[in-house]
Amino acid sequence: MIDRLDIVAELGSRFGHETFQVQPTRDEIPTLWVSRDKLREVVGYLKTDAPGPYKMLYDLTAIDERTRTHRPDQPASDFTVVHHLLSFDRNQDLRLKVALSETDLRLPSITDIWESASWCEREVYDMFGIKFEGHPHLYRLLMPRTWKGHPLRKEHPARATEMGPFQLPDEKQDAEQEALHFRPEEWGMKRESETSEFMFLNLGPQHPGTHGVLRIILQLDGEEIVDCVPEIGFHHRGAEKMGERQSWHGFIPYTDRIDYLGGVMNNLPYCLAVEKLAGIQVPERVETIRVMMCELFRIASHLVWYGTFAQDVGIMSPVFFMFNDRERIFDIVRAVCGGRMHPSWFRIGGVAQDLPNGWDKLILDFVNYLPARLVEWEKMVMQNRLFKARTQGIGAYTLEQAIDWGVTGPGLRACGCDWDFRKKRPYSGYQRFEFDIPTATRGDCYDRGLVRAAEMEQSLRIVRQCVENMPTGSYKADHPLTTPPLKEKTMRDIETLITHFLGVSWGPVIPPGEAFVGIEATKGNNGYYLVSDGSTMSYRTRIRTPSFRHMQMLPMMSRGATVADMLAIIGSIDFVLADIDR
Amino acid sequence: MNETLGTLLIIAFVILGVLHVAPGLIWLERRLLALWQDRYGPNRVGPFGLFQVLADAIKMFFKEDWIPPFADKATFILAPCIINVTALTAFAVIPFAPGWSVVDMSVGLLFFLAMSSLGVYSVTLAGWASNNKYSLLGGLRASAQMLGYEVFMGLSLMGVVLMSGTFNLAKIVEAQQNTIWYCVPQFLGMMLFLIAGIAETHRLPFDLPEAEAELIAGFHSEYSSMKFGMFFIGEYIGITLISCLMTVLYFGGWDGPTFGISEGLALKLVQFGWFAAKTFVFLCLFILLRASFCRPRYDQLIAFGWKIMLPLSLANLLITGAALLALE
Amino acid sequence: MWPLLVFIAAVMVVVAAQIVLSHFLGQRHRERATGEPYESGIVSEGSARLRFSATFYLVAMLFVIFDLEAVYIFSWVISFRELGWSGYFKIFVFIAILLASLVYLWRIGALEAGPPKRRLREAEVK
Repeated sequence: MIDRLDIVAELGSRFGHETFQVQPTRDEIPTLWVSRDKLREVVGYLKTDAPGPYKMLYDLTAIDERTRTHRPDQPASDFTVVHHLLSFDRNQDLRLKVALSETDLRLPSITDIWESASWCEREVYDMFGIKFEGHPHLYRLLMPRTWKGHPLRKEHPARATEMGPFQLPDEKQDAEQEALHFRPEEWGMKRESETSEFMFLNLGPQHPGTHGVLRIILQLDGEEIVDCVPEIGFHHRGAEKMGERQSWHGFIPYTDRIDYLGGVMNNLPYCLAVEKLAGIQVPERVETIRVMMCELFRIASHLVWYGTFAQDVGIMSPVFFMFNDRERIFDIVRAVCGGRMHPSWFRIGGVAQDLPNGWDKLILDFVNYLPARLVEWEKMVMQNRLFKARTQGIGAYTLEQAIDWGVTGPGLRACGCDWDFRKKRPYSGYQRFEFDIPTATRGDCYDRGLVRAAEMEQSLRIVRQCVENMPTGSYKADHPLTTPPLKEKTMRDIETLITHFLGVSWGPVIPPGEAFVGIEATKGNNGYYLVSDGSTMSYRTRIRTPSFRHMQMLPMMSRGATVADMLAIIGSIDFVLADIDR
Repeated sequence: MNETLGTLLIIAFVILGVLHVAPGLIWLERRLLALWQDRYGPNRVGPFGLFQVLADAIKMFFKEDWIPPFADKATFILAPCIINVTALTAFAVIPFAPGWSVVDMSVGLLFFLAMSSLGVYSVTLAGWASNNKYSLLGGLRASAQMLGYEVFMGLSLMGVVLMSGTFNLAKIVEAQQNTIWYCVPQFLGMMLFLIAGIAETHRLPFDLPEAEAELIAGFHSEYSSMKFGMFFIGEYIGITLISCLMTVLYFGGWDGPTFGISEGLALKLVQFGWFAAKTFVFLCLFILLRASFCRPRYDQLIAFGWKIMLPLSLANLLITGAALLALE
Repeated sequence: MWPLLVFIAAVMVVVAAQIVLSHFLGQRHRERATGEPYESGIVSEGSARLRFSATFYLVAMLFVIFDLEAVYIFSWVISFRELGWSGYFKIFVFIAILLASLVYLWRIGALEAGPPKRRLREAEVK
């Protein structure tokens, strides 16, 4: 592997050392400040010409820096745009930051370098009002077009009570409806071809096949999809804004609701990022418990995908069987965590409680029960010839396209790339487990299905290893910032009692700094980029979700397919609307 | 006079019978599907949830009967009527027991084919008249689907006609009584007809025009109240019809052991009992199919009909003909 | 034939009764969006009355031809025993021609009803 600092030196020698300013971060991802004039040049070099190129635009976001107090080693900036790149060859990330002043919020778009930057740039425009010059469709992405202001700016209210009562008179309703009205010209679409007229069809938000309030506008020639525009934001709840006004501890339940099929899997990257900021090292027992619960939730999530995917192409029955088995997982989750879908069970520096008595039998029963069922479903769904006819060769993309569009998770592994954070950058003790990374080669709907079906078996393997090798020890780290702190010490002296009291009432004060942690979540890479300003709340919480990227490439996948194929493609992506909109 | 009364009785019996079997099927389907899918199904209203259908019917009648202002009004109302009228009318030629049919028509089989073909208009017209994009797509799919199965449906039945030498359904049953149930020599033809029959009734796996996950009920998106109910019931009447025909054409109709009863009403009731029992098996088969299959795409359905089913039904015809001539 | 007519009349009465009954029994309501076509809850762009392409029109034309041919086969089927082997060979030739034309249509791709772009892509994969 090429050394971490290498890229900094390399860029310095190519573009001149004065071009960059290096910022140290808690996560040790090389972070460079670059001027906006040089941005496109640097990004272009990193993507194609650099040795071990940074082929994936992992994330693109911004920070409102105007009220931030702890900014050592950083140039003056009112708004900072952050480009997060990923190199597979180096197994290394790189963060490029651009400083902007409040009076001149412009920077060049990189959509011609990465098409996948389009949605991210629209989101930044929507949330911060930063204009990207050269972006072909710089419209609001998550907020309605009628929205006033830019929500992630610090002056924008975060609570409904700060905004006056909400009312929806007829005129306003009409205006909102009109704003949703699709205009093909805006997207450079023609209304007719030489031989026929195109139909513009709204598939969603109120549609049973879109798995939630997703709107896809189809340009149809007969049943053939000429082009389409996915419209998101109907499920937007401002999770990132909420992160800025909940205590570090109090935000954990919100993370559960990002990928709402992933349960505690969502807590993990958030807790890991906070722990990185706080410098907490959790005991092995905590790591193993976390892995075990996450893998159970991976199976639960894949079960929902399995059933609904089958239903999307018209097989009626599997969904019932799979939901029944998902209930068995929830029985375990309920016994261990007390909750079902959203247990919010991980804590900063540990988990909420120790495992209950008899947990191992409960889980082993399930681990022994499921494999036979998986074989049955394999026969019922994946080997079904009609199912194959509906999914093979449909919605295919190549490995290059996948990387270019920021695909992670099973969607990437279906193209033959065995990239998996659990193996490549083991977190939470994954290096201690034996498991394989299933891959497929064709990258179509069917192969994405194959990968997920095989992943469930691997997850079962991991869970079994967890049960058999559960380390002893504490379920919480012995660290002052562990929240809630270990109770045993509180009754000894006033100091620890006060620390405990503050930690529980105000929440912990996390040292200033920045950290990103990404994990291999159920649908791809889920990551939290946290900026702490040394207070009880996060200064900026950026949630990098996989579904957002996967949904963005829908037009590329579905052009030339039929409406029926569209549903197969949607089903095969395995997205959750909350994971897209946050 | 007595004969006239008998015929009128049969007419009343057929109409009322079919109109009761169809809702009964809805209940049966829900319960059977639930059984196969590890869940309960309706079990609260009445014994075994039997009155659920009644409750649904009452609800359906009292729902708002909405005719969209943007729709083509006359066609919009006509469309659901067509499917019910054609499907019900086709029952006129079905012999339930010896002498028990509305008409003993010499071209009964052709009459059935004509009626079932007319039924497609219902779906296509509904899709067009609704003036809704989803419905239009559903209507288009219905036409595409019709192109796929109608071309071999009639031909698949001709093997039976070759063997029996008649289009008259009662005579076909008698011919089977004298020789062998045609499900044995006409096995291929039977499978072809069964597939065409499923497509004809727009049931899963051939529910393309409806495709709830894609087109949101497709051709009947805009239908409400009893007009929607008529499409719903029409589907089940269609299933009953195809099941009756399967029984008549391939499984010897009313043929079966009579337990020593040799005359009078009792004999006819036993024979009708056999007919009903066989038909019931096919009804269950239809429901089982729904629980297990996946929906093909319309172009796949067309290709399937033309490239596989059509040559097969022609081959079936030639082989049957040659075999019959050689045996004579 | 009168039973059939009576039967059809009765069927029509039943069907009409359903329509009329539900018409009078149902409620009525009228709100701002009642009169709009359903399109996933969004205002429509363009209507459903348009010059729409049906890629399967070729199959539709073939269907008319083949369905007509089927009528000839029907008439042979019903007089099959009288015609004997000579009739059989004649219809054999007829069906052979039919099958040959079907194979021809298959080969030139006239039976493909799917969208042309995907067909191209599938051809590439092969």
